[in-house]
Amino acid sequence: MTIPAITVDANTLIFGLLAVVSLGIFFNLGKFKASKSQTEREDRIDWSVRKYSFSTYFRGCLISGLGIFLIFSLLGYLGFN
Amino acid sequence: MSKHSALDTFGRSGNPAFRDHFEGTASNEDTRLSGVMTLEGAVNKTGILLALCFSSAAVTWNIPNTGLMIGGAIVGLILGLVTIFNPRQAAKLAPLYALAQGLFLGGITVIFESQYPGIAVQAIGLTFGTLASLLICYKTGLIKPTENFKLMLVSATSGIFLLYMVNIVMMTFGGGEGIGFIHSNGIMGIGFSLVVVAIAALNLVLDFDFIEQGAEQGIPKYMEWYGAFSLMVTLIWLYLEILRLLAKIRSN
Repeated sequence: MTIPAITVDANTLIFGLLAVVSLGIFFNLGKFKASKSQTEREDRIDWSVRKYSFSTYFRGCLISGLGIFLIFSLLGYLGFN
Repeated sequence: MSKHSALDTFGRSGNPAFRDHFEGTASNEDTRLSGVMTLEGAVNKTGILLALCFSSAAVTWNIPNTGLMIGGAIVGLILGLVTIFNPRQAAKLAPLYALAQGLFLGGITVIFESQYPGIAVQAIGLTFGTLASLLICYKTGLIKPTENFKLMLVSATSGIFLLYMVNIVMMTFGGGEGIGFIHSNGIMGIGFSLVVVAIAALNLVLDFDFIEQGAEQGIPKYMEWYGAFSLMVTLIWLYLEILRLLAKIRSN
């Protein structure tokens, strides 16, 4: 297999710049606390307890998997290929 | 709630990456010995893992080797599973996981890049772009994760995992192509990939929330590595799905 050469074209510049700027944002913004509207609310996830049982998650998994399968299969059957 | 009382209550997590192992055994002793988790620590450790991943990816990018690539994927999977079940060992295992996954990602990227020139930089740019965008949305409170959000996301993520497993079984034992729309490059295939990319991206929000709360509550320092590992797992999944999506779009 030949090693593909990375050419510096508009594609590389735009997406390369996007990656660098995004990483800059992550490393700077990531170190600051989230806003109060995020941290001081009643319906926040409580990571110390599990609100739903394993069976609820299991049911959710089956419903999601089956749901995605049925929707895409049905759309495919209707001719959306 | 004080830091120390929080440690006693910070028992178990429902985060898919952390499973139920967000330290039911975390204790004041852990924090006394190692200190407490901070946002800066988690972000810096994510940086270290990303650097390790890029370094090993450069190896298989420059010396394409199928054995190294598959070996990296298998070792990465094993290390990932071991880390999930042993969060205390995350400081040792997460860097090894990043190195192993880097070997796999470098190899798979070179295959896609040879077929679709320029796809690697597009996928990397879009992955980090998604990371930054969702971090901004989370920090500003634009996206507010709730228990129901978590339930839906964990269900959808595991549902997709289930579909992938069925697909692998069908491909292995059925001798066919597996589930058609997963591989198709038509509207259905692209639509499915878009759904998977969206779900993978939203998992980042759960990771951010876990790290934010962990730092607030002052959980043990080693959980910084665990948080960084969790972000890496999601980022690697997101990158692979974006790569597949772009390949499907460009193959038309």
